[in-house]
Amino acid sequence: MVLIRDLAIQGLQMVLVLLLAPLLTGFVRKVKARLVRRQGPPVIQPWRDLVRLTRKEVVLADNASWLFRATPYLIFATTWVAAALVPTFATGLTFSWSADLIAIIALLGSARFFLALAGMDIGTSFGGIGSSREVMIASLAEPAMIMIVFTLALVAGSTQLSTIAAVFDSGVGLRVSLGLALIALVMVAIAENGRVPIDNPATHLELTMVHETTVLEYSGRHLALIELASTLNLLLYLSLIACLFAPLSLASADTGDRALLAGLAGWLIKLAGLGALLALFETSIAKMRVFRVPIFLGASLMLGLLGTLFLFVTKSF
Amino acid sequence: MLALGGVTAVMGILYAMLQTDLKRLLAYSTVENIGVIFVGLGLALAFKTNAMPAAAALAMTAALFHVFNHSLFKSLLFFAAGAVLTATGIRNLGELGGLIHRMPQTAFVFLAGAVAISALPPLNGFVSEWLTFQAILLSPDLPQWALKILVPGVGGLLALAAALAAACFVRAFGIGFLGRPRSTAAAGANETDSFSLAAMLILTGLCVFAGILPGAVIDAVAPAVQTLIGAHMPTQIATPWLFIVPVAESRSSYNGLLVFIFIALSASFAVYAIHRFASRAIRRGPAWDGGFPNASPATQYTAGSFAQPIRRVFGATLFLAREHVEMPAPGSLAPARFHVDLHDLVWETFYAPIATGVGFIADRLNRFQFLSIRQYLSLVFAALVALLLVLAIWS
Repeated sequence: MVLIRDLAIQGLQMVLVLLLAPLLTGFVRKVKARLVRRQGPPVIQPWRDLVRLTRKEVVLADNASWLFRATPYLIFATTWVAAALVPTFATGLTFSWSADLIAIIALLGSARFFLALAGMDIGTSFGGIGSSREVMIASLAEPAMIMIVFTLALVAGSTQLSTIAAVFDSGVGLRVSLGLALIALVMVAIAENGRVPIDNPATHLELTMVHETTVLEYSGRHLALIELASTLNLLLYLSLIACLFAPLSLASADTGDRALLAGLAGWLIKLAGLGALLALFETSIAKMRVFRVPIFLGASLMLGLLGTLFLFVTKSF
Repeated sequence: MLALGGVTAVMGILYAMLQTDLKRLLAYSTVENIGVIFVGLGLALAFKTNAMPAAAALAMTAALFHVFNHSLFKSLLFFAAGAVLTATGIRNLGELGGLIHRMPQTAFVFLAGAVAISALPPLNGFVSEWLTFQAILLSPDLPQWALKILVPGVGGLLALAAALAAACFVRAFGIGFLGRPRSTAAAGANETDSFSLAAMLILTGLCVFAGILPGAVIDAVAPAVQTLIGAHMPTQIATPWLFIVPVAESRSSYNGLLVFIFIALSASFAVYAIHRFASRAIRRGPAWDGGFPNASPATQYTAGSFAQPIRRVFGATLFLAREHVEMPAPGSLAPARFHVDLHDLVWETFYAPIATGVGFIADRLNRFQFLSIRQYLSLVFAALVALLLVLAIWS
């Protein structure tokens, strides 16, 4: 009975992240539009786009290989699994022990690996430039993320997300290293989701040539899956920031339904808050040149390294 | 040893990133993997001297696991590169391309090897990388200050090497096997024979096995770790649900099997849902490419252009990379040229002086090959006297 309940909660989380991810993206777009005094599309618009895409036929390039057709499913599956492992409204879910934070990051790395390959499959110059820049950004963002994980793990004594969140919830006080980790994590999250100073999710290919050009050859249901995966990615990072640095309302999976509901409400509020902050940040800053990106990510890497170093020197930083 | 390992790993993979020769690229990536193994060995040594047997066993297991993994996926990749060489006669990435259509099975096994070597779950490379990270996370307890400062940096280098390895193998697979063929030899390649394919498929199977059941491999290397360190990790195969738990479950655990099943299930769910509820129509057409597709395969990204962003980020300091552009005057019909100077600093500072020194001495000693018999006899006599003198002084 306990097992069934645990599985049900895990399933609820998987369904919820899937349903909410496009809504979160829609919400961010709406807030951005309102900030520049436009009406903006309704919050549900990303879902409408996805449904419309799935109804369309797929136009496949003549020389597309099996890898090109399999990649959308792989990207979607790995991102969804990763998103299901992050504590959103409750900690200690059934499957959360099967992978720790390092494994979640590596799962997202797998998704990007296949995305970059798919960009090169047709053999167009747009796909190549997108993939090339994608892996350049990833090769700096991933080590930065690992250093952030080190910082968090050294404070909490664990790389298991549920444990880290529980430890942080019980109070670790204000720490310099965690402050550095937060700044670094926000920078990595911006880069990994292709948000404004790095890439611009609203443009087409000419301006940025990173994410949008990599998926240029995709259409129909394949494109829908990739878009869904990228909204899931945004939800994952915002939930990660929320559960690590604001674990306030997180319920534990073995507590009652009332605590779970409170956790759920808290999660929604946190997501809305972070989404609004993201929109505010994006409207107030200009995109940077591609070759400024390494400096941005290098700073994030150094902040993570500094945080880890502090903790190696003394546990109390 | 730690610092050497970390620096070796990053430098090795950066060199690999800049290679256009497929086999040389794989050889440089071996340098990276040796670096990763060295980090594990160095950590094991540091833990052992500080009497921390559990941590030492973990680091040693990580190193040995990586040795085992590397033997699997590097053989696999070299086999596949050999198959490409026999099929096309080409090792230069710049003349390959599109092999996934002509050699689908070889492409599949190369892809599996690439995923494994890039330390991506759920294959085996990730597990040994993960164990090494877990060992690094145990090292703040080391008492020496030098180690306390060094280890986080080494951890950062290791993470950087892993991320660059993924970039490097995206490039190797993407340029070599995907896209359109860049030469007639690549366009007319045929699949390799079934025996080679069987060998490669067995290695792929072992990579998957070690990735989803890492507990079995950890237990298999436990006796070796026991003899080297005097302790070994707890037996993993007995843990429920085939988890691997290096220290304690609340600290960290990983379940390759569950992650694999989880991904497979959600992928099949997506396939089912999409094919059940969405349009299944497919239309083949020419590539879109922003509206202006170009039929020439020369318009594709090349190995050099793919590596350019990373070369710009790291190259200027590590390789003293300088870019030269020769632009002809307006109206002139001469072609514009662009070339890059790269310096192998490790070779130039460590090996080249030794090589020139050896060459210099060999030059001087060359004279001894053209002496008269009289001079040879006196040389032998002098050598004998000198050796006897050495013996006399020695005792």
